[in-house]
Amino acid sequence: MELVFLLICGGLAVISSLLVIFARSTLHSALWMVFSFFMVAVIYVLLHAQFLAMLQVIVYAGAIMMFIIFAVMMLNLRQERDVKVNARISKVVGIAALLVLFLELMLVSLGNNLNAIQGPITDTLVATHGRVAVISNFLFADYLLPFEVVSILLTAGVIGAVVLAKRVK
Amino acid sequence: MIENQSIYLALSVVLFIIGAAGAVCRRNAIVVFMCIEIMLCGVSIAFVTFSRAHHSLDGIFMVLFVMAVAAAEAAVGLAIFVLMYRKHGSIDLDKFNLLKW
Repeated sequence: MELVFLLICGGLAVISSLLVIFARSTLHSALWMVFSFFMVAVIYVLLHAQFLAMLQVIVYAGAIMMFIIFAVMMLNLRQERDVKVNARISKVVGIAALLVLFLELMLVSLGNNLNAIQGPITDTLVATHGRVAVISNFLFADYLLPFEVVSILLTAGVIGAVVLAKRVK
Repeated sequence: MIENQSIYLALSVVLFIIGAAGAVCRRNAIVVFMCIEIMLCGVSIAFVTFSRAHHSLDGIFMVLFVMAVAAAEAAVGLAIFVLMYRKHGSIDLDKFNLLKW
């Protein structure tokens, strides 16, 4: 059953990601991107990371895509004609390098030598405490410093965006 | 190892390569930005897969921080695109070679 859901949602994620690249208008790309994010959220649920799936829907499919669609609407872009790949040497070399990278990564990820080191988060611990409780216990103890640094980064990013986009009189 | 682990990893590799190919081929800056988000999604799936396989939460926290950094990146990046559009009237990356020399 998990395999069926995985194949369907993974296939839809791949197809919609391809459509992001090949869609003619930028707005259609953005809408396919939202669909792709929802499919990735389903993959997270299959991996027993429900908290991340919620965050994926709220942060990515909600906030970030709202930003992007807002920018697309504001910029009033014409229909671009750049769907065809330019046969310039840099793009050809780039695609070839990506194919080599693809083969290498596939060889590594399909190999059986990824030995599992068992950590402390067993299924019984999650079943007794609840997933969000376990995550927050670790987040606010072991990962407190990165959490605070990321919050400072977000504040700096938002202030930087306002300063950048402000019209200089 | 969890069941179907190699399928999850293959999915993450495919998403990463699709995103990278789009970032190489497209010239529209916003589409390139979305392709980078696809690459981040692929990497996140690999993190969560290993996190589940190894009974650890480190991968999940890594994905949390990736999401936060992606949100900051979206804010700053889209502000830069608005500036580019005001200055040049387009966000075609091939025309935007201000920093080349």
